[in-house]
Parts: sequence; C-alpha cells; structure tokens
Amino acid sequence: MFGEINFPGQRDDEKVILFLRRHWFIFFMRLLMVITSILGLILVYFFFNLLSNNFAQSDYYNLLLFGESLGTLFIWNLFFILWIDFYLDAWIVTNERIINISQKGFFNRDISELKLTKIQDVTSEIVGVVPTLLGYGNIYVQTAAEKERFTFFQIPNPNEVKNTIVQLQEKERRGEEIEMGQAIRGEL
Amino acid sequence: MPSIITILYFLIILIFLAFGAAIVFHLLYYKINRRVSGMMSLIYIIGAALLLISNFILFTQVSWNQIFGNFKL
Repeated sequence: MFGEINFPGQRDDEKVILFLRRHWFIFFMRLLMVITSILGLILVYFFFNLLSNNFAQSDYYNLLLFGESLGTLFIWNLFFILWIDFYLDAWIVTNERIINISQKGFFNRDISELKLTKIQDVTSEIVGVVPTLLGYGNIYVQTAAEKERFTFFQIPNPNEVKNTIVQLQEKERRGEEIEMGQAIRGEL
Repeated sequence: MPSIITILYFLIILIFLAFGAAIVFHLLYYKINRRVSGMMSLIYIIGAALLLISNFILFTQVSWNQIFGNFKL
C-alpha cells in the first residue's frame, strides 16, 4: 500500500503501517491565501476597466496586464511553497518506529524517530468545532525519556491512529519480551 | 528610464527564479513519493516557463517611454 513511500534511514525489512499528513482542510486554509490573491488580481483588472471606458485602448492597459502577469508568477510560486510545506510534513508509523519529518520553510528540515518500544503513553485530542466535524486532531506520544513529547499535528482520524500505534507498540513489546526470554533461556 | 526598468524587471525575475530553484530542489531532493514529486516538478517547471514567457512578452509590449513621458510635469 505504501510501496511508493521513501524516507531517510528506511530499512529493507521495515513495513510502513501508516503514512500521515496534516488534514486536507489545513492545506485548504493555506490555499485561501492563494485564492484571495487571485481574486485580488481579478478585482484590480475589473476596477481599472470600469474606471474608464476606453482603458483597453490606453497605454496603461498593457502595463496592467504586465502587472497582473507578474503577480500571477509570484502566486504560482506561493502555491508551490505552500504545497511543499504541506507535502514534506509527514509522520510515518512503521512496524518498528515512528518517524516525524517536519519541513519549516526552505532548507529547514527536522527528522526525528522514536522506537515503538520506548512509548509510554499515547494521547489523542480533537479540540474545536471544525476539527470535530472534519475529524482531525493531534496525537501526543510520551516516551520514558525526559525528551519533549512526540506530536502529530492536525492529522485525520487521530483516535484510530492512536489505537493503531498502541496495538503496534504492544505487539513490538511482546516480540521483544519473547526475544529476551529466549536469550535468557539460551535459545538464541 | 527604460534601462532602469529593464534592470528592475530582471531583478524581479531573478528573485522569482531563485524561489523556483528552491522549490524544484525541495521537490526533487526531499522526495517522499517519487512519482508525486516528479509530477509536481514537471507541472511547476512547465507552468513557470509558460508564465515567464508570457510575462516577458507583456513586458516588451508595455510602452515604457510613453508611460514615463506622461508623468513628466
């Protein structure tokens, strides 16, 4: 299912169980900036055309078109900057660990990972009307170490994701206990 | 006056290209899904090239001398 997914430090025997990004609504909210800019350009065009009847024949008409085109160039870039920020922010849950890939603007990327066996507790939260209606929220993963909490921000279906992480953690811990038992008994 | 405009225009285009290069770099270097990254890079490059060409044509269509002449008191 996640055969196309690549992330740094991926092991051959590692299976991707969950691949998460922020909810589409978060991207849509950012996209409103782009939509507003486009509407602004359209409004400016009509404003100048309504201002004078023969504006299309004046010297300034080409200047307006040039300005609008220049604006479109930067809106094009803005859209891709917003998309990259959304696309490169990801949380990957594998059968061994959780990987948090965080993109903060250009050339600023954090990648942290957490072994499933190190998890102490997992909390999910959905706060607010829109997150409740659309079903997105945060997940906090607490480790035994004094490190800050591992947080999944604004992901879809946080409760289901939390349950999956807990199940995987229990499975991984059981596997580790069996291995340790075998090592103690000298079977390994 | 138009030579200053031309310099300013190319400066703006240079800023646009710098952002464009950063976008393409991020899409191709930090790829999580190769197919999506490749597709988006292609869309970005084709779109940016078309917009740049049309913008340059529009830049040449503007009669800068006339416009700045109108501003003279």
